[in-house]
Amino acid sequence: MGLAGVAIAHLLGQEKAAATTISRGLHFPAKAKRVIWLFMHGGPSHVDLWDPKPALLKYAGKPIPDSLAKFDTRREVRKNPLLPAAKKFHKMGESGLDMSEFLPEMGELADELCVIRSCHGDSVNHPQSVYQMNTGATLAGKPSMGSWVSYGLGSENENMPSFVVMPDPGGGLKGGPPAWGSGFLPASYQGTTLRPGASPVLNLLPPSGMSNERQRATLDLVKDLNHAHLSERNEDYQLMARLETYELAFRMQSAAPEVVDLKGETEATKELYGLDDSRTREFGTRCLLARRMIERGVRFVQLYSGNTNGWDAHDDVLSNHSRLCKATDKPVAGLLRDLKSRGLLEDTLVIWGGEFGRMPMSEKGKGRDHNPWGYSTVLAGAGVKHGHIHGSTDDFGMRADVDPVHVSDLHATILHLMGIDHERLTFRFNGLDQRLTGVRGHVVNGILT
Amino acid sequence: MRFSRARKCLAAGALALVFPGLGGAPATPISMTGDPVTNEQAITEADRAFWSFRALNRPAIPVVEDTASVRNTVDQFIVAALEAAGKKLAPQADPVTLIRRVTFDLTGLPPTQEEVLAFVAASKAYAAAGSTGPDPYDSLVARLLASPRYGERAAQSWLDLARFAETDGFEHDLDRKDAWQYRDWVIQALNKDLPFNQFAAYQVAGDEMSPENAVATGFLIAGPDMPDSNFQDERRHLLLNEITSTIGSVFMGLTVGCAQCHDHPYDPVSQADFYRLRAFFDHMAPLKKEKQLSMANAAPSPTPVVSRICLRGDHQRPGPVVQAAFLRIANPDSDLVVAAPISKNTGPRTIVARWLTQSNNGLFLRATMNRIWQQHFGRPLAGTPNDLGRQGEHPTHPELLDWLATELPLQKWSLKRMHTLLVTCATYRQLGETGTRSSGPAGPKPAAEREAAAEDNHLYARYPRRRLSGEEIRDALLSISGRLSLKTGGPSVRLPLPPEVMSTLLEKQAKEVSPASEWTRRSIYVFARRNLRYPLFDLFDRPDALVSCSRRSESTTATQALSMLNSEFSQEIARTIAAEVRKAGTDPAAIVAAATVRCYSRGPSDREMALGTAFLQKRAAVATFDEAVTDYCLALINASPFFYVD
Repeated sequence: MGLAGVAIAHLLGQEKAAATTISRGLHFPAKAKRVIWLFMHGGPSHVDLWDPKPALLKYAGKPIPDSLAKFDTRREVRKNPLLPAAKKFHKMGESGLDMSEFLPEMGELADELCVIRSCHGDSVNHPQSVYQMNTGATLAGKPSMGSWVSYGLGSENENMPSFVVMPDPGGGLKGGPPAWGSGFLPASYQGTTLRPGASPVLNLLPPSGMSNERQRATLDLVKDLNHAHLSERNEDYQLMARLETYELAFRMQSAAPEVVDLKGETEATKELYGLDDSRTREFGTRCLLARRMIERGVRFVQLYSGNTNGWDAHDDVLSNHSRLCKATDKPVAGLLRDLKSRGLLEDTLVIWGGEFGRMPMSEKGKGRDHNPWGYSTVLAGAGVKHGHIHGSTDDFGMRADVDPVHVSDLHATILHLMGIDHERLTFRFNGLDQRLTGVRGHVVNGILT
Repeated sequence: MRFSRARKCLAAGALALVFPGLGGAPATPISMTGDPVTNEQAITEADRAFWSFRALNRPAIPVVEDTASVRNTVDQFIVAALEAAGKKLAPQADPVTLIRRVTFDLTGLPPTQEEVLAFVAASKAYAAAGSTGPDPYDSLVARLLASPRYGERAAQSWLDLARFAETDGFEHDLDRKDAWQYRDWVIQALNKDLPFNQFAAYQVAGDEMSPENAVATGFLIAGPDMPDSNFQDERRHLLLNEITSTIGSVFMGLTVGCAQCHDHPYDPVSQADFYRLRAFFDHMAPLKKEKQLSMANAAPSPTPVVSRICLRGDHQRPGPVVQAAFLRIANPDSDLVVAAPISKNTGPRTIVARWLTQSNNGLFLRATMNRIWQQHFGRPLAGTPNDLGRQGEHPTHPELLDWLATELPLQKWSLKRMHTLLVTCATYRQLGETGTRSSGPAGPKPAAEREAAAEDNHLYARYPRRRLSGEEIRDALLSISGRLSLKTGGPSVRLPLPPEVMSTLLEKQAKEVSPASEWTRRSIYVFARRNLRYPLFDLFDRPDALVSCSRRSESTTATQALSMLNSEFSQEIARTIAAEVRKAGTDPAAIVAAATVRCYSRGPSDREMALGTAFLQKRAAVATFDEAVTDYCLALINASPFFYVD
């Protein structure tokens, strides 16, 4: 099947696209039908949030032992004094998962979470790590996971894109839109950015003052002109697709605003997501939109928390993480609770994590530098164990130690949960069958139910 | 699942980047065969027999039966293949179709009404005179190639190849203040028809070879870069590998970059070959943290640089020392040719630039003519223009490609002569896919019929229709509304962006907008931000400028439709066209005729006339006539005849 075929299949019926792009159906039964990825941009600190290290308290103020001090850092913090967690941890729930006081609401849901404490990646720099977490490669230009999934599975709703991204309204993702780009895959698989508000997609709505009836008349003329054009030519997928895109665009104009219209949500639901509090309203709104989108068939939703600086706590972990945890903890917990009560958590995978974690030693006294060598990523929902911890870092949280999970392993596992064999989701480019996971990636069986 | 073809572009060197090897966590080892020099595989006879690696010889020109259908040598290759399949060329296209096709092709703009009328009249007179004397089509082609609009049009394809943008990319994506000078150099060089071997060589070593063409070397540093990297050694390594990979893709049509971590998995390019080629560029001046790339980096390093293989593509694992040398497979006569010692007057890049652009470099010439063909026929003769190796697609007409490749040096490396050859052949001038549809409603056809159509496409049994690019769409809209500014050159135009797009820019990024008088300039002059393409261009498949792109994808999406229907730009264009065509009066038929001629460079068909007049009458009954005309014009620029060229 050529590219033109993919494009038309994508347009003429998303379910048909799924049937044709993966010719033998899904590789295995999918536990996760959709993904909500809460991307904590800037690098949240695992040693403060998910991975308690008594050694940091014991050796506070001393340098890390020489045997562990061989690693690259961004700001030469290698010999800086070790810094204990900024807040206490408590064992929560029946599972006794260690939960930080930074995240009291999520703490209540400890038994729902699967914490991978042994993640690791390959770059100490933000953009390279943002790219790697999204595309598997540290340089921009490869397709993002959402693009691969759309390419492989299509969407469940032909009126909505299959991969939607809601950037932080503060802007400034380190690395920019290539993080949700389609790389060498057709452009139709790139993430569609969607904003809260009346016009969630660029140019979605007709200019003010143009009635529906007036636009419909124009569209009908476009349709007739296109049919006249096509009737004088040989069958052509592109021409037929262009006919269809105008109808799809028209449907999106009513479908997309409906998705972002929260009028139909109850006060209780809004409260659940923290819409009643100015500090949580913004992220809560996007979490609620994420639920509304997956309900309407969007397969892959990615939310970013954090503007240019985001969770990048070089100066002061306590103040940075207090602010960002306050803004996101309740909305994330609200999303999990809401998904669960609606029965959606069973087949929806929720991912919480950043592009890397942070160093066990201090920077500028109270801050921490980037640490890609060991950090935590948290999963919840479809197909993953609940109240579970996978792997560990060394005594100081410096690097992945037991059962390490490379970014590509994480990718292989997420695709697996969606019923896709990461070695068989390929696209021929530059003479190679390209994959999200490149030449690596192993499914982390230990976290699967 | 696997797809036969990909059109967008990935770093040939992306493999290396899976393993930056910064020494943190364990990496999965990939198999290595030991010392990359002592274990280097010899080039075999079979390697040299592969179509693109074969020595370039001028093929015999095939004999055809139907000599009447042939206009020049190109046609003989095409018609011979058609005859072998029992087919022939379609009839020659009518002047109206032809002038729209060739004007968009050579200038990226639609012809004006006056140009169409003049050409149709001249063509009629020529036909009436028994097609003797000078063909008005030939003078049309000559006029278009002499227009400054030609270079503006042809430059975009080259800038796609050069992964050109005016910002760094990565986190900060800062502006490169002088990057536009390279863009202007490309336009001017194409317009004055700088011989292509010099055009190419100056981009590798203009600073060394020809001071007045120093800015051409901007090609080398046009890609993404991370000046704020904490690891400047890594930055330099990635940059040199990126340059080497791009040289391989652009000037040899080979995925040389696949050999930076290990020997090329499919093609006879060893890892040693890669680092020998890179050694020509290793002498660049050291990078400085937070300092953007500039031509100063092209200056030779004050201290001698020893070139080494990077084991597994990891700069922290230096391997054997290598000497600068040309790719073994691309040396027609012998395997390893170490570059002549560097004299005081000849920089290392000059040596490689001269070697790359020799008239016996089959890869260089085949890659070049494959792309020139693509420029005119919408698709290349060999389907993967940046990969002519074993994993790429074989050419549909290998002898024609070789003939064209040998013809370019004979034509004194003049691209304009090659363009003339291609756009004046009968294959180019034949009808597209019009008027041949069998009866029945639109809908899928039987498989056999589809396969026959695909074969016709491959054989060029008709001219392939193409969709306009985003840049052409914008330029055409400005042109047909009479607003296009033809101002050339200079610093790029910063178009206003919708607030929701503007708000995604970082604090340090310049947000200024050019004066409104600049907004109607051609798209080639629009500021090319790497991390944020202009929305209309992005929607219509402009490549990301992260790697060399030889062939754009052609997507068809609902967001394109939304932009064309609803954007302020489209609305304003529709209003402007409407105001112009309202000068034709209040007769709906006159309005339809005037608007169609303006938008499609031709008069309306009977069906279009009926649809248009019915629409105007119906809408005028419920709204003002002006509104009806505006909506009509908006529909015209949203319909297929606007987007596609037959």
